[in-house]
Order: sequence, then structure tokens, then C-alpha cells
Amino acid sequence: MRTEMPLSKPIRRFLTQTEELLDTEVSLLRQPEAEPGGTLVDKYTYDIESNVIIFPAQYVGLLKDFIIAKHCTHLLIKGAAAKKGEYKVCSYTGDTVYNGLRQIYIDALKDEAKKENKLPVQKLIKMLFILFSQFNDDLNELPWNAMVNADVYNKMPKIRKTQLYHIMKESKNDMDEMMEHETIVPRRYFVLDKAMFYARDMFLAKTLPADELMPVLNIPQMKKFNHLEVKEMLTTRWTHTAWYQSKVFGDNMLAIIDRPLGLVDWKAEPALDYYYDLYKVGVLLTDNLVSYMTMRNWFVWESPKHLLDAHEHKAEYEKEALKKIFGDLITDTLEGA
Amino acid sequence: MPLKEAMELAKKGHSYAKRTKYKEALAYYNKALTLDPRFPQALFLRASAYVESGMYKEALADCDKAISFDPNYSDAWSKKSVALFYLERYEDAIVASTRASTLNGNDVTAWYIKGVCLDEVGRSDEAQEAYGRSLELEIILDMHADARKIRAQR
Repeated sequence: MRTEMPLSKPIRRFLTQTEELLDTEVSLLRQPEAEPGGTLVDKYTYDIESNVIIFPAQYVGLLKDFIIAKHCTHLLIKGAAAKKGEYKVCSYTGDTVYNGLRQIYIDALKDEAKKENKLPVQKLIKMLFILFSQFNDDLNELPWNAMVNADVYNKMPKIRKTQLYHIMKESKNDMDEMMEHETIVPRRYFVLDKAMFYARDMFLAKTLPADELMPVLNIPQMKKFNHLEVKEMLTTRWTHTAWYQSKVFGDNMLAIIDRPLGLVDWKAEPALDYYYDLYKVGVLLTDNLVSYMTMRNWFVWESPKHLLDAHEHKAEYEKEALKKIFGDLITDTLEGA
Repeated sequence: MPLKEAMELAKKGHSYAKRTKYKEALAYYNKALTLDPRFPQALFLRASAYVESGMYKEALADCDKAISFDPNYSDAWSKKSVALFYLERYEDAIVASTRASTLNGNDVTAWYIKGVCLDEVGRSDEAQEAYGRSLELEIILDMHADARKIRAQR
């Protein structure tokens, strides 16, 4: 372990344990502009020798300790799968990008037909891949985030208060995401995106347990949906709003998240097999969410390198997919954009 | 009052330290302290650079010197507790961090180091109390930083 900062005892122990189990080195790096939730740069994803956990320089106490605990847990899950030669992520190819963009376009057209203020075509076309990428990112992050948090909660009771603060902050940022695009993004995707975060927050609210995390209590747009009576649900105009629909979809997704995670024995010995089992649960969870959102043909399970290559070729994939959808007409529009 | 020239040199050193260029920073602090050996802030800054460079004994000596010139210098007490922590002198670190947090109740690092060291010597309940205080302060600072960011974006 290479670290130049004081760490609390359980975190030091956990860092050492991570390094021993994976037979690798974990460095800690303070950076003034780091993401509030920190970043993990690991050798299982990137072509590097060791692993680095980066966190905001201003976090000198327990806030940094939680970030380290969270990323070490994620590293153990990745490393355990990699040691079995099975570590894969949700990636995409030219064909799957086409499937995704085509579906989003069809849904967007349905929405646009009902709108008075239509979205300019160039904007609509640009939005297709942005949305596709957003779901790719979220699917590679969100199910693991729920699982990692549940594990840290069970393994590190001393940093629970810190964890709650971090999750609340993260939840707020996630819910704010896409907000300014509410009127642009096709309703279906706005709802699905919010529903995923809603489900994660509800799962964590139950797991931690912390009412403060419940979206129906802490998200202003959702407060009015707490304890709704059936009559109210049937008669009010709320039922037609994106936020109400997010709650309905989110409740279904909660069941999807809850089922596999509910079976995990969080008290089991934290050996490599335990983390490998968590990896398998994460894959199952992601698959179930993908199926529920009918995005099966949007993504493929592939190596992290495949995903990095896909990111490199994304402009190409996007262009080809748009050409397939719109034909030669798109060339002028793309150049115009 | 430290010499003006020594202050300028210390400032220059600090600008290097902020960019994690500790070797250059130390050179400027050394010059500043040659001009004015009784300059507590320069001693504290040099101690910070020593800590970042893994030279904990040197850091401790500078903190002690700074404290001898200004016994209520809370930052020097706080840095001293960090140096003592690295030297695994946990009991002494508890004393130094307690002094630092008494002089400046809002010092997150002092409360945190106190918690870490109390934990190390098996005083778990007291450690939780210190951790609690450190977390409280850290959250307040973080919320202020977020608010500043939002204001800057507007």
C-alpha cells in the first residue's frame, strides 16, 4: 500500500486485506478537482500495473475513508472476477448502437407527435447517442453501486454515518441529472433513468435503513406521491406525470434489485469467492434491469478493453447507425450539426 | 513580526507546496528560516512539507520549535499530531491533537487524528466521539464548498 495520509484503523485493515486478497497494490491519491464520490482507476479495467483510488483533496477525515472503502469493495469484486478470467462489463458494438438508436428514435417520434414545440431535427439526432451512452454508463455503475454500498454497510459499521451523507449527496446529484433535459428527452427514457435511481435509493433506504434516502421523501417532485390513496391515484393528473411514472417503474425495479441482493449473505467470510459471488449477482442484476427496460439488444457483455475500444470508436458507430436509420439524408444533417 | 523578506520566501515556498513540489518548497522555507529562524509560520509550512515528503522526525522538530515561539499556534499542534501519528507515538499524538482541537474547535484533521489514535490505543468509545466531531465539521465544510460551487456556476 502506498499512502501518505492518516487512515482510520478499519480502513487501513481493509486496504491491506484488499491488497493481499488480490495480490496487488492500491495507491491513494488526493486531487483538488476529483469527483465527490472519488474515482477508481484499476488494472482490471485499464492497461496499468496497479490501482489508484482518487478522492477530493479537501476530504481529510472519514469522508475519504468511506470513498476508500467503497472503491476497495468494487476493486475486490472486479479483481475476483478477473482472477477467474470472467470479468466483463456492459459494452456495445456498431450493431447494438444501431438497435439502441433506432429504438430511441421511434420513441422520440411518438413523443414529438404529441408536442406543440417540436425539437429541431439536428438536436433530436444528436440526443440519440447521448441517451444511449447515458444508459450504458448507468448500467455499468448503478447495480454495482447498490451492491457495494450494501456490502460496506454490513462490513464497516463505524462509517455508517459517513456513508449516509455520501449516498444522500450522490442521490441528489443523480436525480438532478437529465433534469434540464426533461422536455427534450423522450418520456420513456426520462422515466426509466429516474426509475433506476429511484430503485437504488429505495433499496439503500431499506438496507441502511434510512428514511432520509427515500425518494418520495427527499426528492421534491416525488414528495406528493408518498402515501397516495388508490382513489387519488386514479383521479389526479399526477398519474400522467413523468415523476409519478418514475415511481411506478422504480417500484418494479426495486423488486428486481431486491430479489438477487436479498439472497446475499453479507456476513459471509470476505474471501475471494465471496466477492466473485457478488460479481455474479451484479451481472444478474444488470441483466434483469436490461431486460425490464427492453434493451437486451443494445448491449453486450464483453471485456473492459472491448468497452474502451467501443468508446474510441463511438463517433464511427454513431455515424453508421444514423446512416442506417436515416439513409443518405443524414450526411447533410450531420455535417450541418 | 517576521522579516518581510523571509515572509516573501515562505510565500513562494507555499506556492510550490500547493503544486505538490515539496523539494522546491523546502528550499524556499530553508532560505526563509535562515533569514529569520524565529518565524513560526515558516516552521509550520516546512513541517507540512516534511510530512508530505515522509520526513516525520524533521516535521516534529519544526512543529515543536514553532510551538516554543507561539504556544497557542493551533495549526502547529495539529501538524505535530500528524507527525506523531506517523511515528506511531499514538499517546503523544492524542495529547497534541487534543491541544489543537481545544485551540481551534473547527480543525477537522485534529479531531480525525485524535479519533484514529484513540482507536489505535483501544479507547474506542472516545474515538467514536472524536470521529463524530470530525465528520460533522467535514460535512459542514463540504456543504459550504458545494454552495460556493453552485454560486460560481450561476
